[in-house]
Order: sequence, then structure tokens, then C-alpha cells
Amino acid sequence: MKLNLLTLRIKRFNKEKDPPGWIETFEVEIRKGMNLLEALLSIQDEQDGTLAFRYSCRGAVCGSCAMRVNGKDFLACRTHVEDLLEKTALIEPLSLFPVIRDLIVDMSAFFDHYRKIQPYLQGKSVYEQVEYLMAEEKRKEVDPYINCILCGICFGTCPAFEKDSEFLGPAMLAKAYRFLVDPRDRRNEEILRAVNHQQGVWGCKTVFNCLNVCPKQVPPTHAIVKMRGKILRYRLASIFSGRGIDPKHNPG
Amino acid sequence: MELLSHEILIIGGGLAGLRAAIEAKKSGRDVAILSKVHPLRSHSVAAQGGINAALGNAPAPARDTWENHAFDTIKGSDYLADQDAVEAMCREAVERVIEMEHWGTLFSRTEDGKIAQRPFGGAGFPRACYAADRTGHNLLHTLYEQVVGLRIPVYEEWYALSLIVEEGRCAGVLCLHFFEGRIVPFRSKAIILATGGYGRIYLRSTNAVINTGSGSFLAYLAGVPLEDMEFIQFHPTSLYGTNILITEGARGEGGYLINAKGERFMERYAPHLMELGPRDIVARGTQTEIDQGRGLEGGYVHLDLRHLGREKIMERLPGIRQITVDFAGVDPILEPIPIQPAQHYSMGGIPTNADGETDLPGLFAAGECACVSVHGANRLGGNSLLETLVFGERAGRKAAEQAGKEKKIPEEIIFRERLGAFQSRLDGIFGLKGEEPSFLIRDELRAVMTSRVGIFRKESGLMAAREKIQELKKRFLMTGLKQKGLAFNSEFVQYQELEGMLHFAEAIVEGALARKESRGSHFRTDYPKRDDEHWLRHTLAFKTEEGVRLDYKKVSITSYSPKERTY
Repeated sequence: MKLNLLTLRIKRFNKEKDPPGWIETFEVEIRKGMNLLEALLSIQDEQDGTLAFRYSCRGAVCGSCAMRVNGKDFLACRTHVEDLLEKTALIEPLSLFPVIRDLIVDMSAFFDHYRKIQPYLQGKSVYEQVEYLMAEEKRKEVDPYINCILCGICFGTCPAFEKDSEFLGPAMLAKAYRFLVDPRDRRNEEILRAVNHQQGVWGCKTVFNCLNVCPKQVPPTHAIVKMRGKILRYRLASIFSGRGIDPKHNPG
Repeated sequence: MELLSHEILIIGGGLAGLRAAIEAKKSGRDVAILSKVHPLRSHSVAAQGGINAALGNAPAPARDTWENHAFDTIKGSDYLADQDAVEAMCREAVERVIEMEHWGTLFSRTEDGKIAQRPFGGAGFPRACYAADRTGHNLLHTLYEQVVGLRIPVYEEWYALSLIVEEGRCAGVLCLHFFEGRIVPFRSKAIILATGGYGRIYLRSTNAVINTGSGSFLAYLAGVPLEDMEFIQFHPTSLYGTNILITEGARGEGGYLINAKGERFMERYAPHLMELGPRDIVARGTQTEIDQGRGLEGGYVHLDLRHLGREKIMERLPGIRQITVDFAGVDPILEPIPIQPAQHYSMGGIPTNADGETDLPGLFAAGECACVSVHGANRLGGNSLLETLVFGERAGRKAAEQAGKEKKIPEEIIFRERLGAFQSRLDGIFGLKGEEPSFLIRDELRAVMTSRVGIFRKESGLMAAREKIQELKKRFLMTGLKQKGLAFNSEFVQYQELEGMLHFAEAIVEGALARKESRGSHFRTDYPKRDDEHWLRHTLAFKTEEGVRLDYKKVSITSYSPKERTY
């Protein structure tokens, strides 16, 4: 194989066609430092304008271009084509989501789960003119979870989500934890209740796939394990006080 | 015919659009957002270094005030900013930033737990409030969370194609559902454009691939002029190779710019502020080093952070480290970062007043697509995020107020007619037999803008650019679309956007040719001095059959009379 030529086998899908799915091979001339997103854009320009995929920032911050490359999920913009030269690379849509067209998947279930955890700060009372005071150490506790770009890669690799599409999923559980540990948010039990079920923290198989694949090094499994610990402590406390978290009264 | 109605429709889901939506919704109006990407994919997410507000949280010998902020902004603008608008922005900055903190933005903290602030270019105080080096990401996620909480509907992956103007009023817009290929008219009492900049008309740009200025073109086609288009900001530090932004915050934290001879070259260009000079001056300094042979092979210099140490880099600039490792294979803890200037921001845009109103009743604009003008000839770092929040809020509030008063509802027949007319236009476009694909024109446009209409400009280069753009406009008419139908037709969308990009390029070049002076980001090597007598005025570019017609309007000056700008 010529070294400056990249061969991509791309899984196509168009529900209007018969058959709707097929694999198409493209060759792209590459230049130094090129990434997979640039290769796809050049195919769209020069070879096949119908090839559909999402993109925006090209700098691994917007979360648009998650897709499956040789069986693993990555951001296309963060994937160097030099790493794909050894053999023909297979490009598929992000796993576990319904495909809309080619590499574009339907992420509505993902954002439905996002809305389920009420992902907005419900603040304690504070003077309007001044910020909440927060220790930098406390901020650092929240920070790893803030970095999530909602690209969906962790869902694509999650065995619990694969088994049950109602599973809230790694990104959303990390998001719930982000509000739980934020000292400004007045919710505590409310957040724990929303995740205290089999489709929440107890559905996780703690295989750490999400943590390993996250392009932004967000550790959802850590959040899940910490929330389990908090729930168990509440349960223990409830044995003595007669109240606490009861999954039967779970509103979520 | 399907007709969708919202009292207020906001086009664009970045910071300005979301902030406007929240304000309008809180005023009790029926609001929706329409965006070509999911709001969280908007380019606002890529902003890194900070947002300016005179909180005075960082240790400094004197307390910062909004007046200091206004003065720095006006001086930074090379006195082309409208001072009343700047004052409004700087006065409201504190409130807007505190509000974001209350909504959940995770700002970095000072030792006493307040919002941390870092020094930024051209600012007399450490004024840029930051969330490590992911300030845009933090702000955008916070606003989107609020939008979700307020249940504001979002039309995701829809394109706005054409404004509907009826009896001198913007009454709606035709939009394309990209996945289904349907064009649907939207009826509204107010439309707010918040579609960002058009950096992608340059080959080297820090901007997202989606930044094509499509909203500004809608306004331009509807007869609204474009203001101060010749003022294009070039950021001094984009990553060599991909031109991904490396924040000014890296220099705010103490990073050095070093040429191939190992010199901190900013000493030659801004001896007092050094690397923290305003962007226009640092970008010119950097480009001069490269042009005069003191750069490294390929045309770049170094941004050296090594002396900051691992801990500071990991804590304050983790996103930068991730970008340089991912996209250049360089770890800034161990090696200097290769950087070069690249297009970064569009100071110009749709002229608005301080409430986001354009000259077309019912049409508003906010954020980078607008020109209020708070940035004048050169924007200070940390002021674009601020602009989105302040003027997003103001536009949302004003649009809600007007929508509450507006009783007249245009009849459905008007929307049917406009849809019909647009469909015929489309038949024309799809009937074109041209052979040349439009991406070649786009690529040639980008190349000529970077080579001739960049940091340094002169008459001969601008004339060559004018000629090239006219050639490209002619060739554009001869192109054709291979893909038929509108569903998933990115070729069609790019064709539409390219038409706008050609018009912006034309307006930039005409404005730059006419402006025989150097001011802020517009530097003419043949007219290297600022000329307040003739050019202390805003450029307006109008679209006519014969091309661009230029006009001018005066700059609003309140308390700061123009002075020579030294740093």
C-alpha cells in the first residue's frame, strides 16, 4: 500500500435505498498531521457529497464527531490518519444508537436521559450581587465531571446501556454527580433518588469501559461508585432514624 | 402548507442565542431556538481563556472598576468602538458573570473562594474570569442547562434559508429540516440572529468548520448593511498545522513568545506589556518575526510555557495541554508549542443598537454576527464571551417587549407566496448544468483571503484580491450541484453558504481598499498611520446589483477622546 494513501471502508446507511446498508471503500490522499474528520470532509468534497456525518469544532471540544473506528469509538477529529494506515480502516456510526444516515446517529434517547436527571443547578439562596464562595479544592472535586462534552462515546461502549436502553448511562450519571457534589446545589437526596435504581447507579457493571474511552478523561464509574456509597450510607442512617432513601418512593 | 409560529425565533444556539432565549422566555413570551447544529456543538464551546468583568477579585494595587474596563476596551478598539455601547457592556458585565455563576458555571477560585481572574491582553487589571481554560465550554453547558430547565424548544439541525420581509418588517424565515428535506416557513414577531462569525472564509482560522456566517448573509440579502467588515481579528497563537486556538490565557499565566533565535521578541513591539499586548499588536509582531526570517521552518514561532511548571499547567491550562498533545504531539510541560497567527474573530457584522435592534424592524442580532460596535477595530480577549451574554440578554429583553406590543399577524398567504418563490429559485439552482464543484471556489477564496487580506494589507494585494473575488463570483454562477433533493444535502447547504462567504469577502476587501489608514486589526503597509481626521468612522457595506456600495457613519464618543495607542 502506498503510504500517502488512506483506505477507508465506510458503513453507509440510507433507509430510502434497497438494501439500506452497505459498505463503501474510499481512498484519500493524506498529508502530515491529517485527522479522520479532515479525511471524511475531503471525501465529501471530492468524491461523494452524499456521505453524511456530523462535525463542528475539529478540536475535540464540541462532541459532534463520535464514530466507530476499527471496532472502537473515537472522535474523528482526534483520530490521526497515520494510525489508520496499517490496514484498511472500517468506519461505522457510533455504537448502540439508531442510525439516521451513514455516520449520523439518533441521539434523542441520550438527551432524554440527560433531561431526566434535571441537569441544571438548583441553587441555595445567595445574594444576587455576589458569587457563591467556593473553595478551590471543592471546585477540583467537581471539575473532572464538568469536562464532559456529551459526545456519546461512553454510551456506545457501555454494556449496561447495551442491555437496557433505559439505563441512564455513564455521561448522565457523571452529570448527576456533578450537581450532587456542587456545594451550590441544594439538592442532595433528590439527586440520589433519581439515580437509586437499576436504570441508575445499580445498573452499572463497573467494567470501567466509559472511563477508558472518554476523550476528555471524565471518570463516570468513579461518580457511580461514590453515589452508591452515599446511598448506602443514607440507608444505614435510615435504619436508625426511620427515614432516608427508599427506592419505592423513587419519583424518577 | 406547514407553517410554524413562535413569537420569537432565535437563529443560532451558541452563547448569545441561548442567553437571548432565556431572557425572552422569562419575559413570558413563546420562544424557540433554531440551529444548524445541536446547541452544545456551537463554536462558543471552544472559547478558552476567560470573560471580562471588573469584579476586582484578583489581588491588585487598586480596585478595578467598570470604567477601567471601558477605557481598556475603547483604547483596545483603537477608538472605533461606540463608547455608549462599551459603557453599557462593561457596566452590566459584573451582573452577567455573577448570574452565570449562580446558574452553575464552575469558575476557578481565588484563595478566598471568589471567582478567579487572570491578566489578559490590553487590560490594566487581571479581569478575565476563567474556568481553567475551558471557559466557553463551561458557560455554554450552563446556559444550555438553563434552556432545558425552562423547556425552551430547540429545532436542531435545521438551516435558516431566507428571511421573510413584509411591509418593511421581518415577519418570519424559511427554514430547512436537514434530515427530512422539508422547507418550512416560520412566522414570528421577532427574529434574533445569533449565528456567529465567518472565520472560515480564511484558510488559516481558529474557527469551527461550521463558522460560515450564514445568518449575517440572511440579513445582507434582506437589505441590511454589514458594518466594519474590514476589521478581522488575527489571533497571535494558533497551533501550527491545525490552527486550533491556544488561549491568550497561556500568556496571561506567564507564557513567553520566542523566535528562532531564542528572543522574547515582543520586547520590540510592546515593551511594557510584552506578550500581554492587545491581539492586533501581538499578531503583527509575531507575523513580522516570521516574515523577517526569525521564525522556524514552515512559518511559526514558539509559545513557551515550560517555566510555568507542571502543576500550574495542569491546573490552569489543562485543555491547552490536551489540545497540543492530541493535535501536535507536543507536551507543553516539556516542549515549547509551535504557533502562528490565524484568523480568529470578526469585529464587523450586522449593525445593531445596544438593544440588538437592526434597521429592519422585527430583526435583531447579537453576539459575533452583530456589530454593536463594542470592539471597534480590535477586540480585547475576554470581551467576546461578555458581549454574547450582555447583548444576548438585551436583545432577548427588547425582542420580548416588542413582541408583546406587536398585534399584527401576517396572513398565511404571504408565507405560501414566499415559499413558492423560494422553491422556484431552488429549481433554478438544481437545474444548473455547471461542471465545476463549488468547493474549489471555496478553497481558492480562503487562500486569497489569507494571502492578500491578512494581517498586513496593501493596495496592490487588495486589488489582486478584488479581482480574484470577482472571478470567483463569476465562476460560482457556473457551478452545479450533483446531489438532488434537499434531505441530507450538505452540498446544497455549502453552496448556499459559499455565496454568502463570497459576499463577505467582497465587503471586507472593498472596505479595506477604501480605508486608507491603519487602525487596530486593519493594517495597511502603504498607510501605516491612524488617520482620525478622515477615518474615525464606521464603514457600512450595502449589497447592490453592481456589487458593494460603501457608506459611513459616525462613531459614538462619550468620555474618551482618541489618543495615540501605545502599550
